[in-house]
Amino acid sequence: MSAVLNEDYYKLLHELQAIDFVLVELNLYLDTHPNDSNAIQQYNHCAEIRHQIAYQYETKYGPLKHFGQSLSGVPWSWNEAPWPWQV
Amino acid sequence: MENNQIRYYKPFVGPFDPCPPIRLKSFSTPPQLFIPFQPPNLPQFSPYEALKYGTLWPALFSPYDSKNTKLEAGD
Repeated sequence: MSAVLNEDYYKLLHELQAIDFVLVELNLYLDTHPNDSNAIQQYNHCAEIRHQIAYQYETKYGPLKHFGQSLSGVPWSWNEAPWPWQV
Repeated sequence: MENNQIRYYKPFVGPFDPCPPIRLKSFSTPPQLFIPFQPPNLPQFSPYEALKYGTLWPALFSPYDSKNTKLEAGD
C-alpha cells in the first residue's frame, strides 16, 4: 500500500467522509419524510458523487471494503495496513 | 461566543450536604426540542461544514460545549 499518508490520500478520504455524512443525514431524514422528492433527488445525486469518489480512491489506494463491495487490484490487498483507525 | 442554548438553575443547598455544594448548574436545550417535526427544504450546510458541525441543517445545530470552563451566573 504505497503512496499513503500523502496530501491527496487525505483529501480524498476527507471528501468521502463528508459525502458519507451527508448521505447518513439524508437517509435518517428520509426515514421520516418518505415523500420529500427534493431530498430523494439530493440523496441520489450524493450517492452518485460518493460512488465516483470511492472509485477514484479505490483505483489509487486499493479497496475500501471487501466481500464484493469493492473491486480489487493485484495483489489482493483489502487486509493490508493501514486500517481505517490507523490512517 | 455566547451559547443561547444553555439554561441555568440553582440546586437547593442544605446545611448538611456531605460535599461542597454546586451552586449553579446548566443544561443544554438543543433546537430539536422545539421542532416537533422537521419541515422539508430547510437550508443546508455544505458537506465539509456539515461534517464539522455534526448536522446537515444549521437550524438543528447545537454547540454542546464542554462544561469544564468556569460557570458564569447566566441564570
